Amino acid sequence: MAGLRLDIRGEALKQTRSGILPIVPGDPDKSAIVQRVFAKDAKIMPPQFAHKELTEAQKNTIRKWVAEGAEYEGHWAYQPIRRPPVPQLSGANVRNPIDAFIQERLAREGLKPSAEADKRTLLRRVTFDLTGLPPTPEEMDAFLKDTSPDAYDKVVDRLLASPAYGEQRAMYWLDAVRYGDSAGFHGDNLWPAWPYRDYVLRAFRDNMPFDRFTREQLAGDLLPGATLDQKVASAYNRLNRASAEGGLQPKEYLAKYGADRVRTTTTVWLAATMGCAECHDHKFDPYASKDFYAFKAFFADIRETGLVPDRGTRAWGSKLLLATDEQKAQLDGLDEKLNSLRKALTAKVEARAEDRWRWEERILESHSKGELAWTYQHPVAATAEHGAKLTIYNEEPLESNFYLNGSLASEKKRGDGVIVAGGPNPDNETYTVKFRPGAGTWTALGIDVYQDESLPGNRMARGADRFALTEVDAEIENPGQKPDKLQFVLATSAQFGELPENGAMAAIDGNRKTGWSVNFVEARNPFIALRLSSKLQTSAGSVITVNLHHDSDLRRATIGRFRLALSSAGFSAPEGGQSAAKVRAKKPDPEMSTLAVATDLGIPPEVLKALQTDEQDRSEDENKLVAEFYAWSSRDLQDDVARIARLELTRNQFDAAIPRVLGTERIHPRLTRVLARGNFLDESGAVVHPSIPAVFGKLDTGDRDATRLDLANWIVSKDNPLTARVFVNRQWRLFFGTGLSKVMEDLGSQGEWPVHPELIDWLAAEFMEPSWKPEGAHAWDVKHLLRTVVTSHTYRQSSAPAADTKDPDNRLLSRQNRFRIEAESVHDTALLVSGLLKERFGGPSVRPYEPEGYLLAMNFPKRDYSESRGDDLYRRALYTEWQRTFLHPTLLTLDAPTREECTVNRSGSNTPLQALVLLNDPIFVEAARAFGQKILKEGGPKFDDRLDYAFRRALLRSPEKEERKILTELYKRASTEYKASPVEAKKLLSVGESAVPPDLDASEVAAMTTVARAILNMHEVITRN
Amino acid sequence: MNIETGRRTFLRQGLSGLGLVALNSLLSREVQAAGTTGVVNPLHHPAKAKRVIFLYQAGGPSHLETFDDKPKLRAMHGKPMPESLTKGQQIAQLQGRPLTCFGPQHEFQKFGKSEQDMCKLFPHIGGVADDICIVRSMWTEQINHDPAHTLMNTGSIIAGRPSMGSWIVYGLGAETESLPGYVVLMSSGKGGQMQPIAARQWSAGILPSKYQGVKFNSVGDPVLHIQRPPGMSADLQKRSIDAVNALNRLGHKNLNDPEILTRVSQYEMAFRMQSSVPDLVDMSKESQKTLDLYGAKPGDGSFASNCLLARRLAERGVRFIQLYHRDWDHHSEVKSNVVIKARETDRATAALITDLKDRGMLNDTLVVWGGEFGRTPMSQGGNGRDHHIKGFTYLLAGGGIKPGISYGSTDDLGYAAQENPVAVPDFHATMLHLLGVDHKRLTVKYQGLDVRLTGIAGNVVQDIIA
Repeated sequence: MAGLRLDIRGEALKQTRSGILPIVPGDPDKSAIVQRVFAKDAKIMPPQFAHKELTEAQKNTIRKWVAEGAEYEGHWAYQPIRRPPVPQLSGANVRNPIDAFIQERLAREGLKPSAEADKRTLLRRVTFDLTGLPPTPEEMDAFLKDTSPDAYDKVVDRLLASPAYGEQRAMYWLDAVRYGDSAGFHGDNLWPAWPYRDYVLRAFRDNMPFDRFTREQLAGDLLPGATLDQKVASAYNRLNRASAEGGLQPKEYLAKYGADRVRTTTTVWLAATMGCAECHDHKFDPYASKDFYAFKAFFADIRETGLVPDRGTRAWGSKLLLATDEQKAQLDGLDEKLNSLRKALTAKVEARAEDRWRWEERILESHSKGELAWTYQHPVAATAEHGAKLTIYNEEPLESNFYLNGSLASEKKRGDGVIVAGGPNPDNETYTVKFRPGAGTWTALGIDVYQDESLPGNRMARGADRFALTEVDAEIENPGQKPDKLQFVLATSAQFGELPENGAMAAIDGNRKTGWSVNFVEARNPFIALRLSSKLQTSAGSVITVNLHHDSDLRRATIGRFRLALSSAGFSAPEGGQSAAKVRAKKPDPEMSTLAVATDLGIPPEVLKALQTDEQDRSEDENKLVAEFYAWSSRDLQDDVARIARLELTRNQFDAAIPRVLGTERIHPRLTRVLARGNFLDESGAVVHPSIPAVFGKLDTGDRDATRLDLANWIVSKDNPLTARVFVNRQWRLFFGTGLSKVMEDLGSQGEWPVHPELIDWLAAEFMEPSWKPEGAHAWDVKHLLRTVVTSHTYRQSSAPAADTKDPDNRLLSRQNRFRIEAESVHDTALLVSGLLKERFGGPSVRPYEPEGYLLAMNFPKRDYSESRGDDLYRRALYTEWQRTFLHPTLLTLDAPTREECTVNRSGSNTPLQALVLLNDPIFVEAARAFGQKILKEGGPKFDDRLDYAFRRALLRSPEKEERKILTELYKRASTEYKASPVEAKKLLSVGESAVPPDLDASEVAAMTTVARAILNMHEVITRN
Repeated sequence: MNIETGRRTFLRQGLSGLGLVALNSLLSREVQAAGTTGVVNPLHHPAKAKRVIFLYQAGGPSHLETFDDKPKLRAMHGKPMPESLTKGQQIAQLQGRPLTCFGPQHEFQKFGKSEQDMCKLFPHIGGVADDICIVRSMWTEQINHDPAHTLMNTGSIIAGRPSMGSWIVYGLGAETESLPGYVVLMSSGKGGQMQPIAARQWSAGILPSKYQGVKFNSVGDPVLHIQRPPGMSADLQKRSIDAVNALNRLGHKNLNDPEILTRVSQYEMAFRMQSSVPDLVDMSKESQKTLDLYGAKPGDGSFASNCLLARRLAERGVRFIQLYHRDWDHHSEVKSNVVIKARETDRATAALITDLKDRGMLNDTLVVWGGEFGRTPMSQGGNGRDHHIKGFTYLLAGGGIKPGISYGSTDDLGYAAQENPVAVPDFHATMLHLLGVDHKRLTVKYQGLDVRLTGIAGNVVQDIIA
């Protein structure tokens, strides 16, 4: 019976191959389906093993239906949207057609609508629903004072015009399109997506017509004369999770990405269950496997690879540069200048062929004698400015764990000058190291960064995902002389894993915010060589002091282990890297100095190879390498080289400051085949061309293949029965708690028949073409739709439960519903009430506080969290950096989706972990403290007044007598405790980085924090009713 | 107060006055569950196991250096792999490289009365060989870590499906109200590439988030935010929670919203967790003998310490305990790296089985040992092994599993499961069966489908059930 289809009448009436007649209209006894559902033996359907028994009543309904002719009526959601007539109802409670539909049904069921909610509840409800924030006490006062008949409508207009409205709508859209700030697979590295998020924010705020919004996301890049904004919108096509895991099979991942796009696009716009058709024809809904793959073919024109690189200049494939014309011109100018400087240097080098020849001989000789090797220094003192503890390992044995050939290796050996940072781990730190070089002549200072498994920041830094050495300075003190500052002219690193804007020169550029940084290469020991402006003579008594500054905004990007070295040769190249690690690891005698075996160092291996090749046999690249190394190591060219290096850094910093976004770039479409059972290895399936599911007909594109733009146009065509219904149904849920059809992700046959099919259709029609109060509205007008919803009586009703009701689930909406506000709103409300919230529209994502070690299970790179600074700690939660494999735990605990997959229905759970977050999470403890401070500052002198003030801010009402009693008692207790131990009070006040006003008494703040915390934990604060 | 009152109130009031959230809760039996029962009530059939401890060896342990000896592969070491086996099959980092046989790198021997064949590097596990069932015919579909973990944990590669622990707590409820029903522990060792593990692996996906696994942290608070804020005394914390609950009960009086009572009970459980979790991780009452048995040093976050913690979690009624041990990804130096991994896991794994047995808990605790896939019988880079999906080994013990047997086998070269292949959904079906659940009947409606852990597949492996 596998071929049997009961969802299509023509098929159900046909005799099967085995001679069975499933349905004979008018003759239930001859109909197999009736026989089978009534069967008493093993033939019974559904089969016993399915444990889905039909009731007698259900069986009889089937029999009756067959007897009456087995008429099929197409599934409601696939019928064209026609605006149904509005029931003729009038009365004070009928404010608009929504009420007419709702109340007509209520009347039929013998139910009555509830009265309008009180003004306080109403303002709180509509403000939460439209902006995700509670109203302020001032807004409440204004509303309560305004007795004009349109007071509420004015509020709605105000809210719809606010940026916060755009933020709240965007949040849900970002769930649906599974927007994240990271790639979602494996290393889950951060990618540039936020400009797309900002596009969505602006689109909602500015009320962009939904059809245009749809077109720009699916096919903005294909629109004639596409604007930059439209191209940004098309980043929608790149938001699927992407993997950079080595050894992945590209075809498999291309199949995954394609399937992800089909699932997402069909769920977001069509609430269709097409994802099921990846492996098999759908049994319930009219989607065949072929439909799935033909839909996937729309996206086969997107430039992408199966393995999506997550680092380096090729990271994330196509990227769109969001530069202004002015920025572009500036960048071109910098490039031009760089080019001419490089050309001039090349000319100089070419003019000195003779000298170069001698230099080659000299350097190879020096190298073979080991003269190029760095002399590692044994420090005599090492201190840190902000509390870190530095330990010197000279002769002392040091254990280290590091990666070699892909495995973690361990060794314990004499430290030979390694300095290990431990103890307190401040955000910024300066290390000061003193050593005595002895008598000698030196040309450069080297800093050798040691990887170690114990270091959370890419195994090199004490935090974050990298170190950032923002500035290095040094001085020399000779006996009996004043200290003399050392001048560095050129900084060079071995250049692996550096972002261009974090090049070595940033460590000596005089800017304490920019730095040399290595963040996307694992298992390497970076090394930076700092060329001295002139040769340095030292004597037996000389002491050199080196300061390593870590002043980056990135917290705890401080080096964990390092060594200092000096070079006496003019041109010792930076060491480090895998080869250095190998040399160290394979050293035969653990007691022997590293230097003794490091003779293949001092020249970069690829340069050495070129030098050892006869000149006539060298490749062009090798010639270039040698020439570059010659210029780099020639002291009389060092000013030219340094000038270029400085300008390169400037250019790269300028370039990096220009935002980018994942780009959708059209290429000649890849061939798309039906994959039997989703198996990407099977290449025998039929080739398919882009087309919409057959049940909806065919796109008329003549001879040419349909494109994403054709798809978008079809999705928002007035003939599409699903798009508008899906959108209005989802919006309905956000304003009432449940959709008109309950199943958000499926309007198909396994979804729910809507409680008010006519209302869905009326709303869908009104959304596409406003006709009720259409002044100022346009087609596909989201604000018009929502204004219509929130100004209805149905929305404005009280949510107070009725004593007795025939509609326990309140699906018929004889009252409003109550539900917890979303994760982001829980966060934002605490911050708003406490005065901490920093409202700023758009911009790069931010990092609020997060528990230490939360990212420990991540790797490539190994990383720790580094929270934002200043205002960015207090932004709306919408802007939180969305790390998809480890979403910020505060949001995750409160049911925010990880956005690894399309989500159109957040759950609202109620768990002990949520209680722990609201009670103990530093984000909420700080909010309670700031709220406590605010109460003390602004709530008047008496506790009773302060409580009034606190309730007004948090709940927009006065406390009741009982509430007063509970909180007064708590306050007294806390006061006594904190007065007795101010030290404990200070500890509580230390949570969070916002300031404690110096004029407030710590014990008093701590006691009021305790009260504020209890208020912020009230169920009512996080409930919209 | 709390749950009982909540339930009574609920029954008295019928469904009136329930907010949406409460309704959702109701539909998921949250109100009834409350630490006792789940949606499978009564059980589909009598259970043999009450709980599961899954010792998840992440990275993909080589079956050929652990529990699946292949003399023929040894004999063919260095020779080309027969193309008949490998042609058209999925391959990871060895794509486009010559495929060469790479014999097992360590000796095997017979252990126990059951004469189970195991690598000599695992003498302690060998010591409990008679309690163990070795399944040598596992196979999976996903050849990269992240999707393979997702498949093993959720039965699907689509993100957002519930993990097995969530399914089990959803189905069976929890036996404790002081700890989460599903706990995840993680340890890292040496000798491999530390592959990342996404939080998705213990997500409740489309199930309510109360069924999500709670990952205990090895640094900071064991459970996030379990510690009261600095400067807040235990007494003041208790009074604060009492105040919140008193305020909320008042709110309930005024608003008549049962969701408030749920919130009150969650705050009470949060408060209990603030003492039960520190008590749980406090190993000071464990005898030196026990610590030695596991090779555990309390507080070191090692696999051994986590095994001991797992026993403590099991004793306290946690339903599903999953220990990830990372670093089995041996693309190179498989010989020396497996020595390291054996050192890290052998003693503690055996200790857990022994300890559970001594405490009479092994008979109703299913212990599972295995990873997301196996490793190639072909060499990678001359000394390592690549990812491999066609055949690998799992160990099962306790909870109604036949002790001292081997089940299934790979072919002579250890390439593909040949005799009695066990697919991932078969494993899931068997595990649920032991817990008293018919895998076909534990479903949740999503996108028009009755989603289940085993997808559309899965057969209970009856032959390994005692």
